[in-house]
Amino acid sequence: MLGFVEEIVLLQLDDRHGSFVDLPQSATDVVIAGGALMELALANRVDADLERLIVVNADPTGDDILDDALARLTASGDALTSAGAVALVALDAGKFQEKALKRLVAKGVLRQTDGRWLWVFHTRRYPVLDDREQREVKTRLRQVLLTDEIPDPRDVVLICLIDACGLLGLILRPEEIARTASRVDKLARLELIGQAVTRAVAEVRFIVKHSAPPIY
Amino acid sequence: MEFAQERAGDVLIVRMSGRLDSSTAQPAEDSFSRALGEGPPRLAVDLSNLEYISSAGLRVLLVIAKKVQQAKGKVVLFGLVPNVREVFSISGFDQIFSIEADAAAAVAAVR
Repeated sequence: MLGFVEEIVLLQLDDRHGSFVDLPQSATDVVIAGGALMELALANRVDADLERLIVVNADPTGDDILDDALARLTASGDALTSAGAVALVALDAGKFQEKALKRLVAKGVLRQTDGRWLWVFHTRRYPVLDDREQREVKTRLRQVLLTDEIPDPRDVVLICLIDACGLLGLILRPEEIARTASRVDKLARLELIGQAVTRAVAEVRFIVKHSAPPIY
Repeated sequence: MEFAQERAGDVLIVRMSGRLDSSTAQPAEDSFSRALGEGPPRLAVDLSNLEYISSAGLRVLLVIAKKVQQAKGKVVLFGLVPNVREVFSISGFDQIFSIEADAAAAVAAVR
């Protein structure tokens, strides 16, 4: 089973070309941080309520991404809201993304290819080699979204992260996205840390959308 | 957290009190799983003495709701205190669970 950070990094890759889908980097960072935090929550290392997120057990999990995130939270020593914790862990998101990509290559899920763009600029892509697990996850999430089935906690997290990235089109057809909008909202709200991720990504999107274009 | 149970005919009434958070989530889930037993469960959960619920506590209730649904049973919560009700409202758990005011209404709803 893949962790949430690996799952979300994998989902952000275009299946055919192995390049990342278009999402502002700061939004990607928030989603990766959210994945790490919600994995820590399911590993019983952090807990959250409406006001704060606390480290309840600082013991390492054995997963270097999660343990770096846990160390970052523990070192802060501050009382954190979920939004504050997401912002703090997002500082390491680029490093987590690199680690997740290396793991996925090591597991034979992705292949790393290096090339040149315009014969000058170095490019790196990650075509998918083995998508069995991804297909299983998508099938399970379709079942949860298209029926009244109660999701398990891992499915709630994945739905929240996929929705935050705007990647529902990977698991639903366009007409299904419209039909399931209220159910997606309902399920994505179930995880309190996930709510902070959704809000933070929405803020990034708002800022990007309303930023003044560059003046040349 | 205290976990007690009693029967009202074919309905199992579970009473939870104290705090449902990361430190009590696993024992609570284990207690629920033992209480479900065989056959489609009819469960009324008394939260009138539950003082606090965190994200970990909500996850336990989600797992139990899923198990009850898979067993083709019914679960209804009742007696939520205001701060717990607020958590349910903000997290949307009040859309997942049927919630009644008292035991009589909850028992009637699961029958």
